Amino acid sequence: MSDTTLLAVFEDIDPAANAVEKLHEMGVTDEDINVISGVPITHKMLGRPHPHTNVSRLSLMGAAAGFCFGVFLNYGTPYLYSVYVGGQFITPIPPGMIVMFEMTMLFAMLATFLGVFLDSYFPNYRPMEYVAEVSDGKIAVFFKCPEDEQKKFVDALGTLGAESVKPAEAQQL
Amino acid sequence: MAVTSKYFSGSEKAHADQHEEEDDPRQYLMYDPKPRGEMNAMVMESMYTTSWKFWLVMGILTFLVITCFIYAWGYMIAEGLWVAGVMRPSYWGIFLVNTVFWIGISHAGTFISAILRVFKAEFRRPFTRAAELMTTFGLIQAGASIFMHLGRVWLLYWLLPFPNARQLWPNFHSPLMWDLLAIITYILGSTMYLFLPLIPDLAMARDRTEGGWRKIFYRVLALGFRGTEGEWRHLQTAMNFFAFAIIPVMFSVHTIVSWDFAMAMRPGWSSTVFGPYFVLGALHSGMGAVAVVLFVMRYTMKHMDYFLRKEHFDALGKLMLIVTFAYTYFFFNDYLVQWYGGDKWTDALLHWLEEGPMAWMFYQLLLFNLAIPALTLWNKRIRQTPWLLALIGLLINVGMYWERYLIVPVMLTINRMPFTWKLYEPRIEIFLTIGTFSLFLLFYMIASRLIPLVPVWEVQEGQMTHTLRKVGKTHVPTVSEFE
Repeated sequence: MSDTTLLAVFEDIDPAANAVEKLHEMGVTDEDINVISGVPITHKMLGRPHPHTNVSRLSLMGAAAGFCFGVFLNYGTPYLYSVYVGGQFITPIPPGMIVMFEMTMLFAMLATFLGVFLDSYFPNYRPMEYVAEVSDGKIAVFFKCPEDEQKKFVDALGTLGAESVKPAEAQQL
Repeated sequence: MAVTSKYFSGSEKAHADQHEEEDDPRQYLMYDPKPRGEMNAMVMESMYTTSWKFWLVMGILTFLVITCFIYAWGYMIAEGLWVAGVMRPSYWGIFLVNTVFWIGISHAGTFISAILRVFKAEFRRPFTRAAELMTTFGLIQAGASIFMHLGRVWLLYWLLPFPNARQLWPNFHSPLMWDLLAIITYILGSTMYLFLPLIPDLAMARDRTEGGWRKIFYRVLALGFRGTEGEWRHLQTAMNFFAFAIIPVMFSVHTIVSWDFAMAMRPGWSSTVFGPYFVLGALHSGMGAVAVVLFVMRYTMKHMDYFLRKEHFDALGKLMLIVTFAYTYFFFNDYLVQWYGGDKWTDALLHWLEEGPMAWMFYQLLLFNLAIPALTLWNKRIRQTPWLLALIGLLINVGMYWERYLIVPVMLTINRMPFTWKLYEPRIEIFLTIGTFSLFLLFYMIASRLIPLVPVWEVQEGQMTHTLRKVGKTHVPTVSEFE
C-alpha cells in the first residue's frame, strides 16, 4: 500500500505537540513527521528528536582553514620574495597575530554562512510542501501515512484541535 | 486646612494613577502581544506606505548623491587629488575623518544586536535589524571614503592579498593592510549576520506578496525557506555563532583603525589607550545614531509606535549613559597622560586645542560628548522622550565628528616641524562628505521600503516567552527560556 503525505494545521504549540504524540502512538515514525512554524519551536516542546546540524562543525573547519591562510600570509609570503630592510626580521610574530585573527574569523563566519546553505539546501526554488499560514503564526505538521488509513488520521488530528487536515500539495513558494 | 487636605488627596490620586499606569505591563511590547498575522500586516503596510514627503526626501537625496557623490568623486578622479584640500602637513583629511566616523557608526549595530543577543536582553528584539542595517550601510560609506582617499582608486587591487608579477606580496605588517583585512572581515561578517535573521521575514514577505517584482525579489532572497525544524536549527546555530564571533571582530576593527594613528610617533596619536578609546568612541556615536534612526522610524513609518516604545528609548538611553561614562574615562585618561607628559610638541598641540582656531570644536566635543549626555540621561523622563533622546544622539554624533576631525587633520597640523604648520582647509571633501551622508540616508530609505525593518519573528518569539505570573495580590512579569 502506498503512503500519502498529510498536512495538519494548528493554531498553537500545545495541540501540535499532542498531535505529534498521537502520530507516534499511531505508528508514524519521527522520520516521517516534519513540523514547520513561523517561529523557532524547540524539539523538546514538540517531543521530537534533536535536529542534527553540521553548522558548528563547518564553523570550526572554516576557522582552521582561515588560521592556516593567515599563517601563510604572515610567515609564508615574505619568503617568496624576501625583502630585508635594516636587518629586521621579516616574519615578526606580534603583527602577524592580527592578520591570523582576522583571517580565522573571516573564514569561520563564511563557513558558518555556507553551512546554513548546505544543511538547509538553500537556495531551493522547486515546488515544496508548504502552507503560507505558517508565516502568520500557524503550525503545520506534515506526516506520511498509509493511503487507506487516511481518514483515521484525519479524524484523530481533528479531535486534537487541527484546523484542517488535508493531503499536502507541493506549491511554488 | 480642608483645601490643603483636598489638594493632597487629589495629588495622591493622580500619583496613584500615574503609578498604576507605570506598572501596567501592557506598556511593554513583550506583554502586549498581537496575533502574528496582524503584526505581519502592520510591518508589511509600513513597507508599502509612502507619502509625497517620502518621495520628496528621496528626490533630494538622489540629487545630492548624483551631484555630491558620483559627480564630485568622478571629477576628483579625472582631475586628481589637487582638487582636495589635503596637502603638507595634513595629508590625511576629511576622507579619513569620514572613514573613522562611519566605522564608528557601524559599531552600534553589532553591539546592539550581538551583545544584547548574547546576554538575552529582551528589549533588543524590535530594533536589532534597524541597528544592523546601520552597520552595513555605515561600512559602505567607510569603504567609499577610503577609496576616495586613495586618489588612484583604480589601483585598489594593489592592496588585495595576491602577489605582483615578481611574486612580491603586500606587506602584512602594515597597519593599512590590517585595516583592509579587518574592514573586509567586518563588512562581510556583519552583512551575513544581517541576512541570516532576515530570511524568515523575507519568507513572510514572500507569502504576503501577490505578484510583481516584489514577489520575485522576496522569493529569490527567501531562498525557499519554509520554517522546518531543521532550517530553524541551522539558522539558530549560525546566529548564535555569529553573535559571539562578530563581537571580537567589531572590537578589532576600530582598534586597528586607532592603530593607524597610534603606531606613529606623533604628538596626540602615540597613545596606548587609543584602541579602547576608539572603540568606546565608536559605540558612543553608534548608540546616538541608533537613537536618531529609531526616532525617525517611529514617527515616519506606519505602526512603528507599536513596536518602538518608550521602554526601548529608555533602555537605549541607559546604554548611552553607560557608554558616556566609559568614553569619558578613556578620554580623560588619554588627555591627562599626554598633558602630564610634558613633551614640548604635545603641549603645543594641547595648547592649540584649547586656544587655537579649532578650539570651538574641542569645546563642542566636551559639551556634546561628555557634558550633555552625562547630565541629561540620568533623567528617566528625558530617556523616555524619543525626540529628546534623538537630539542628544544627534549632538553626540556632531561631537564625535569634531573629535575625529581634531584627531586627523588638526593633530597632523601640529607636528615637530613648526615651519610646516598650516591649517587644513577642506575643498571638494565637503561635497563628498555631503554625498556619503546622503548615500547612507538614501540606502536606509530604500531599505525601509524593501525589507521588514522589524524582525517580526523575533518579536513574536519574545512575546511567547513572556508571561504574567500571579504573586500574592499582583501579577509579576516573568520570562522563560525557549532555547
